[in-house]
Amino acid sequence: MRGIDAAAAYLPRFRLSTDELADAWESVGASGIENRTVPAVDEDALTMAAAAAERALDRAAVGPRAIESVAVATTTPPLEEGPLAVRLGRMVGLSRETALAEHTQGTLAGAEALDGALRASGPALVVAADCPAGDPANADHRTGAGAAAFVVTDDAAVDFGDRAWYADEHPGVRYRERGSTLIDSLGTTSYEREAMRECLAGAIAGLDALDAAEDNVHAAAIHQPDASVPGRVGSDLPFDTAAVGRGIVVDRIGDAGAAGVPLGLCRALSSAGPDDRVVGAFFGGGAVAFVFEGGLGSGAGFDDALAEDLDREGIQVTYTRYLRERGIVAGNEVAGGGAHVSVPNWRRTLDQRYRLLAGRCPDCGALAFPPEGACPGCHARVEYERVALSRTGTVATLTTIEQGGAPPEFADQQARDGPYGAAIVELEAEDGEADGDSIDGGTVTLPAQLTDCDPGDVETDEEVRAAIRRVYTQEGVPRYGVKFTPVG
Amino acid sequence: MRDAYLVGAGQSSFGSFPDETYRSLFETAFERALDGADALNPARIEEVHLGTLGVGGRQLGLSAPAVTEHVGLHDVPTTRVENACAASAYALRGAVRAVRAGAVDVALAGGYEVMTDTSADRTKWWLGVSGETEWERTAGTTFAGVYAQMARAHIDEYGTTVEDLARVTVKNHANGAKNPNAHLGFECSVEDARSAPAVADPLNLYHCCPTSDGASAVLVASEDVARELRAGDPERAGQADDAAPLVRVAGVGAASGRVGLFQRDTFTSIPASVTAAERAYDAAGIGPEDVDVAEVHDCFAIAELLAYEDLGFCAPGKSGKLLREGVTDPDGALPANTSGGLKSKGHPIGATGTGQIAELSAQLRGEAHVQVSSPEIGLAHNVGGSGGGVAVTILERVDGGARADGGSRGREGDER
Repeated sequence: MRGIDAAAAYLPRFRLSTDELADAWESVGASGIENRTVPAVDEDALTMAAAAAERALDRAAVGPRAIESVAVATTTPPLEEGPLAVRLGRMVGLSRETALAEHTQGTLAGAEALDGALRASGPALVVAADCPAGDPANADHRTGAGAAAFVVTDDAAVDFGDRAWYADEHPGVRYRERGSTLIDSLGTTSYEREAMRECLAGAIAGLDALDAAEDNVHAAAIHQPDASVPGRVGSDLPFDTAAVGRGIVVDRIGDAGAAGVPLGLCRALSSAGPDDRVVGAFFGGGAVAFVFEGGLGSGAGFDDALAEDLDREGIQVTYTRYLRERGIVAGNEVAGGGAHVSVPNWRRTLDQRYRLLAGRCPDCGALAFPPEGACPGCHARVEYERVALSRTGTVATLTTIEQGGAPPEFADQQARDGPYGAAIVELEAEDGEADGDSIDGGTVTLPAQLTDCDPGDVETDEEVRAAIRRVYTQEGVPRYGVKFTPVG
Repeated sequence: MRDAYLVGAGQSSFGSFPDETYRSLFETAFERALDGADALNPARIEEVHLGTLGVGGRQLGLSAPAVTEHVGLHDVPTTRVENACAASAYALRGAVRAVRAGAVDVALAGGYEVMTDTSADRTKWWLGVSGETEWERTAGTTFAGVYAQMARAHIDEYGTTVEDLARVTVKNHANGAKNPNAHLGFECSVEDARSAPAVADPLNLYHCCPTSDGASAVLVASEDVARELRAGDPERAGQADDAAPLVRVAGVGAASGRVGLFQRDTFTSIPASVTAAERAYDAAGIGPEDVDVAEVHDCFAIAELLAYEDLGFCAPGKSGKLLREGVTDPDGALPANTSGGLKSKGHPIGATGTGQIAELSAQLRGEAHVQVSSPEIGLAHNVGGSGGGVAVTILERVDGGARADGGSRGREGDER
């Protein structure tokens, strides 16, 4: 049956604790939120989406080339207008025939994306990724970041049971003005809470499949702008407290916008067994509820990988560091320059920057990265065979670009995130063939920025893994490509 | 093929000169080069090769004719050479080949750069433009970063120490402190050089050369012209021929290499340096053991250590030992960077290569600020970027009246 075949979550590594916020602001409006995840300087909704999608595709029975449709949900696209799903598709290696959908405009976006995938035919990829921000004095106290990805197939581990929509207008509960990066609300607490309760209860009441066995809901992921909302609206709903608790992630992540319930759904699925039912209830003006039969845990056990995605231990940051990483206090951009790579030239190399595709000389077998120009081994001009490189490798040599030493295009990043590692990494190539003989993979070296680490702690020969991150933004266009992060 | 001789060489001071332009700096270098060739009428210069990267933009196109017209070399064909930090060694190579081929009897080579008149932020746009820009630079790697990666690899492979790097700095500053043309003409201690602020681990500020303004110029002539000028030199009039040395270009070797460090098979050597040196030694008919004084490309301290190994002054991994034993001190067997090198004398990119030649010319004529004991063979090693282009130039002092084609070492025909 159609349903969810694989799920994955991605959380940035930085955490800002409520205690740290309280030191800065005296009072914190973030009921039940102990930590919020903080995207690093080179992360945004797209890079988090790619990280979650890559994990989900690794766990699914189908590979990226089999995906027929992709839907991306976020309220924080890197560009207010500009292609998003197609960039994600290219990052994770989907085919050029994949149908694209993008959902934004509210926290219901994740539900819209999931609903579309469940209604479609063929393998589908659904990714919700978000990193909302608010006024630092209040709404920002709640915000977090993360991404959840689902691979939907017709022969899935978790069967789709039913869905129900409940749509009515309740303006002013959550909105972001045109041109602003900050979410807002009317602040009329009783009105907002009633809007959520009415819509969520209405949607859940519409789930026919629940009537027969309402006591069999193992976990319910309910709209969670803070940790109190699911409890308050859930008291009217046919779930026990423990089931609601199994779908809560906001306490450790913060309000992840359109990715909030999808991340809650990941947590719910990770502990649900084959006979369990799992509910996801989304709100964003209207509401949508889904019920699934089965889980990604094994009986009483957990899906370790999925649980680990969500339990990943973070690194606590100070509030000052938080303000820098998020660019609330930031550096500035220097215009003009001598080492410009044009957007068209950048685009030409996306297979290398995202998928690490190298070339093998058909004559001598030498590897070339990037696969262009004369063969580095025999110096002949050849047509390279495409060869995939491992996404993990080792540090061949490295340095730390100390504070103030970054080239201008990385100056803002460095002002916000500090010194970074610049390495040469060595990656193995898959085995190949040259001049009729099969040959061992061999290795390629390429320059790589290190991310998500203290560069001073990284050693030569250390194992590192590729992660697609924002490299920089020039001419208004964010550029993405692989960086590397220590595996250990 | 006939020989080419240096008949004059000079440089402006290297440093930060907000009141100067690239034209006025070159004018100074040109005048100083002519000082060494008093009898040469500049109207005899038939072609000019000038190296510059063009830092800052300014006159990015046709800056070389702007320079030659400025110094009165009106309507003389002028070519601008761009090979990053090795630009003017390649400019000299062009001039030498023109003279050797018999195309001209007198050619001018040189270089110029202005690097200190823009804001620190803007200047950074121009640093590292000679690294590989599509992959190395987009990984955030700086120019210091690339050399730091080589330093790390050398430390890992050979046990070279940060103190070895510091010793390069201390030696070159001790030499530069005696050179009035030096940008950073002060002495420093090992402790100073070890405790400076980090730039790109393991390199700190004292392991890095400065960005400088400056120009240099070299006059290249056929042997007949060189002898005619010496005969016509009023200071030399009446002296015996053998009292006035001539400086012959004994061999030039050049080689290109992969521009990005990651594209090379080794991170502990610059392959283009090895090849260029082999070609220069072959052309001059000598080996590294014959070199009496050398100017090597020490843009970063590690670069001087790599140079010792790549030029064959010592075996791979032994450069730190060579330095510790004082072999490359001014009173050692193979003094290196008596001018102060790029580290202390300064590194105005396009001017550096022929600036090294000005120092060697002074050494071979016995007129250097840190004079080594009667050298006969001088070697200049000039690296573009992190090794994308290298030129090695070997100069020979020719005493007395013996014509070079009679007694000098050297092999004709296949120099590259």
